[in-house]
Amino acid sequence: MTDWNAMSDAEFRKEVRGFLEAEYPEELRHLPHRPKFAEIEHWHRKLHTKGWVAPAWPAEYGGMGLNAAKLLIFYEEQQRWGVNRGRDMGVQMVGPLIIKFGTQKQKNYWLPRILSCEDIWCQGYSEPGAGSDLANLRTRAEIDGDDFVINGQKIWTTMAHDATHIFMLVRTDPDAPKKQQGISFVLASMDQPGVEVRTITTLSGETEFCEVFFDNARTPRENLVGELNKGWTMAKALLSFERIFIGSPSLAQNALGQLESFARGRGAFDDPVFRDRFAQAALDVEDHAALYSRFADQLKRGETLGADVSMLKIWVTECFQRITELMIEAAGPDGGTVGPLQVGNVSVDVLASFYKARPTTIYGGSNEIQRNILSKAVLGLPD
Amino acid sequence: MQSSEQEEDLRLLRESARTLFDRAGGSGRSRKLRDAGGEFDPDMVRELGEAGVFGVAVPEEQGGLGMGLAAGGVIAEEVGRVIAPEPVVATIGLGLGLLRRLCPEHPKLEQLVGGEASLAVAWQERGPGGASADATCRYADGKLTGGKAWVVGAGGTQDFLVVAEADGGPVLVLAEASADGLVTTRRAQADGSSLGELSFSGTPAAELACGAAVQGALSEAVADATALAAAELVGLSQRAFEITLDYIKTREQFNKPIGSFQVIQHRAVDLNVMCEVAQAAVREVLMRMDGETDASIRARLASRAKARAVTAARKVTRDAIQLHGAVGYTDEFDIGLYLNRALVLSAWLGDDAYHRRIWFDAREEEGAAQ
Repeated sequence: MTDWNAMSDAEFRKEVRGFLEAEYPEELRHLPHRPKFAEIEHWHRKLHTKGWVAPAWPAEYGGMGLNAAKLLIFYEEQQRWGVNRGRDMGVQMVGPLIIKFGTQKQKNYWLPRILSCEDIWCQGYSEPGAGSDLANLRTRAEIDGDDFVINGQKIWTTMAHDATHIFMLVRTDPDAPKKQQGISFVLASMDQPGVEVRTITTLSGETEFCEVFFDNARTPRENLVGELNKGWTMAKALLSFERIFIGSPSLAQNALGQLESFARGRGAFDDPVFRDRFAQAALDVEDHAALYSRFADQLKRGETLGADVSMLKIWVTECFQRITELMIEAAGPDGGTVGPLQVGNVSVDVLASFYKARPTTIYGGSNEIQRNILSKAVLGLPD
Repeated sequence: MQSSEQEEDLRLLRESARTLFDRAGGSGRSRKLRDAGGEFDPDMVRELGEAGVFGVAVPEEQGGLGMGLAAGGVIAEEVGRVIAPEPVVATIGLGLGLLRRLCPEHPKLEQLVGGEASLAVAWQERGPGGASADATCRYADGKLTGGKAWVVGAGGTQDFLVVAEADGGPVLVLAEASADGLVTTRRAQADGSSLGELSFSGTPAAELACGAAVQGALSEAVADATALAAAELVGLSQRAFEITLDYIKTREQFNKPIGSFQVIQHRAVDLNVMCEVAQAAVREVLMRMDGETDASIRARLASRAKARAVTAARKVTRDAIQLHGAVGYTDEFDIGLYLNRALVLSAWLGDDAYHRRIWFDAREEEGAAQ
């Protein structure tokens, strides 16, 4: 077993970069949509053989056991090379949940199946009445003998139509005094009569989001993770690393690179107004990266990140949106045209970028929710 | 990532600078000086010199602390926090920036480091639409003719470092405050300070350096001063934000603190984010400038810093007035002092639009060269 953490940062980066550049399939680089598992299965097999499916998991569970510094490098290199995240809900969310709160039996059973992608997971959090106000969720799980019986509806469930299992927050005690209490974490199979999936067509015409309906669906009681009615606290504990990841500069940096080659091809830089707006966007990206480094350094020193890390997400997602607006501006009369636009030897799908930027200010806690968090937890502003 | 040792040094420097300015009276002292006529306090300059403030970026072998521009930025942020009118950034960046590069043996360097003297640097000239790219100020036979503009710290008894054109190229000369044929006109600034317009008619001056080295040192010194002015704006913005945050927590309307209203909260968050991005960017720039020898890259970094700092300071100081409501429009509240100082610091050495242009053009040139 290699101790990756013992390597220097530079050595480790070289190792990761070398592997990705040699092995990652060219046709999957910078994939504009979220793939079904079949599309990326051959890449997943390579990762699995290499033992690199779960960089953050401890080595004893089949992960790479990377510390925060190495983990950031791993993700930076993935993003740099345009490597698709794959169907990583199992690795990113379910695995850490089970490792932290699961029983030994759950670990033995589920973790290897996540690594091999025998099980493909989707995340059942949001509901029609529980978006930003997630604790308002209503999907019920009632104990019936050895099972939970689940009734209700989840929505915005990413790739549920290509998942074998769902990990979900459900209400197990409707009479709890606070709505954050009485919520539990359960795992369930999607392959049963009481589960129905309908895809949602987005503005960009993609169908990556789904609605999932539960009508007396069942899951064994042993699929409860952690304590009954303690799901909310557990869900929050899972978010610590995600909060810097969701504010990483890569989305905006990639978009800026696309904007630059597209605008150059279109001659947009001849216009001094455009030049200034490009400079503003480019500096917004560069200066965000400086702030990102400050938080990343904190992680590398082994410190826990505070609520102030939310500002990264606000800045980078809004910046990403401004960049895609500039792409549309540079496209001129082609600004409403669907599909790749060819300029010189580059081809840029302006509208795909634009649509991709829209949900970033909505998901992962909308930017308005992030501002609420910052105003309370960081600035100490009163209710 | 900076070394933890360096980080600790900068933290201690920040603490001692903050204590020094607070003990001197903080922003209240700055208000008093403004009310008294707008010039800085020579005693404070001496005190700052004794504390080693001016010499932070001067190499140790020249009598400084040798801590680099990063340390200069720490000082500049603290100056900005209390809107101190002393020309700290102009001295560290321009005065000492020129002397340490061109004539480190000159006794003026030691006096400047020690705070025993002030020295105003005159390098820009007025063109038809603003700053001119060509110098018309001439130096021949030991005498200056022509004029200079936008000279910081020209209100007192200090001597002038002047960059002029001679037959052999640019020269750096020293003209005494009381020299013959030197007329100084003070242009009042929003913060109560003034910028000097100098006119020379056969003014005697002593040559300190000449040739291409002068142009090179001037560009470097201007880049240093630009980045340090950015740091001063960062400190100013941060403090203006803190004052505003305190205000919205205590000011009540509709029987509640106005800071409990979501629209106010979200605006406060946006100012906070602006401040943090600016601080991270400017500190990173100063750190990188210390490790960079290529003059054009240093200049581009400085432009990046000033562009960001001006953008942030504009947003923060304007919104700060709005969040204060009507009292923000009075002279009595300190927040207006921060707005006025931001106006002056933003215009000095180029605002954000100017520096974005410089930054973009430099980026294009580098791209073309590769």
